[in-house]
Amino acid sequence: MGKRILKALGGVTVVLLGLAVIVWLVWIPSAREVGYEFVSTWGEPGNAPGQFHDPTGIAVTATEVFVSDARNARIQVFDFDGHFKRQFGTKGDGPGRLGRPMNLRIDGDELYVADYWNDRIQVFGLDGAPHRSIGKSGKDPGEFNAPGGVAVAGNGDLYVADFYGQRIQQLHADGSFVRQWGHTGKVGIRAGEFNYPTDVALADDGTLYVADGYNDRVQVFSPEGRFVRKWGGPFGMNIFGPFNGWFATVTRITLDSSGNVFVADFYNNRVQKFSPDGTFLSTFGSKGTGPGQFEKVIAVAVARDGTVFVADFANNRIQKWQPKP
Amino acid sequence: MKIIRHSIAALMLLLLIPTAQASGPSYALQVDGLACPFCAYGIEKKLSSIEGVDDTQVNIKTGEVIVIMAEGAPLAEDLARKKVKDAGFTLRAFSRRSK
Repeated sequence: MGKRILKALGGVTVVLLGLAVIVWLVWIPSAREVGYEFVSTWGEPGNAPGQFHDPTGIAVTATEVFVSDARNARIQVFDFDGHFKRQFGTKGDGPGRLGRPMNLRIDGDELYVADYWNDRIQVFGLDGAPHRSIGKSGKDPGEFNAPGGVAVAGNGDLYVADFYGQRIQQLHADGSFVRQWGHTGKVGIRAGEFNYPTDVALADDGTLYVADGYNDRVQVFSPEGRFVRKWGGPFGMNIFGPFNGWFATVTRITLDSSGNVFVADFYNNRVQKFSPDGTFLSTFGSKGTGPGQFEKVIAVAVARDGTVFVADFANNRIQKWQPKP
Repeated sequence: MKIIRHSIAALMLLLLIPTAQASGPSYALQVDGLACPFCAYGIEKKLSSIEGVDDTQVNIKTGEVIVIMAEGAPLAEDLARKKVKDAGFTLRAFSRRSK
């Protein structure tokens, strides 16, 4: 009797080990690049220039870094070495005022801000001058319920991650509705459905990448709007984890000049990099407060020369990384 | 010298008292499922829409939300529960904090 139980247990162990090996081989890819090295960091808690109270978004031009400083209701601008240059925005809902600015996107000489509490996308000049705003509170087409991120197409169309709206909306530059992905206000885990989407990115050819926040995955749609693929853990179905190619809450997605995909992996305290087709390339970051460590990675931006800037949320600082030689 | 310093400190305390008295009751809400700043700001936004709310403070790590009301404006538990639900979360505990 005892022998039989031992035999059965042995069999179960072998099966479990076999499954673990399969999971490892199929869903835990190895790095294909040498990765990134830490360069420098700047910022500390506070409300003075160069200090942060919840940095939540980041975007770069060829020479400057723009940071959403959410609880200070402002955008701060730095050079690539972290020297403070200027700031704009104050708390409120009028033109140029901000209510928890989140992910940022730069297109041409304009900065697009997901103005989370004000349910709109605000557009500023790079000097901080308010240009216009798009959208208002609501559930109808062209309205928002806490926009988390925005991307801008070559023709000026906006793609907006509507966080509580559980959808991605495409709007013309004047705010008129074009189409949407996802069911308004309804969470879903199947392809084309969302679970609190936080951000979007557009490739040069119009391919749309979505940071599907609490589904712990990335979803990709063709320029025509068809679902193409998803990734993030087994089957890309809301299975989170700390392994390569897995996520634990996705809060930002952005592309480099080659179309590679960078993802802020919030609870895993790291940035992950993928090829345009979702092949895992490399990752960097670990939990902590030391140089090169993170307390929740919330946003990432990539400069044209490949330098990567990361918003280190709970450490209230920005980190600069570069590709290893 | 010591007396002058004590007098200044006492004067500063007196100046602070009216400010402290101006704020109303505060409440501690325990919320399940707070995952990131997107949620925290969502809850803050919903709770701030209640008339009489002066300030909200969210601790993502502990899931505790502190709601500070204006003087003479109590917060009804049912309303707080509805707002938390609207933000996509579940209210687990609600209590008035002692001053």
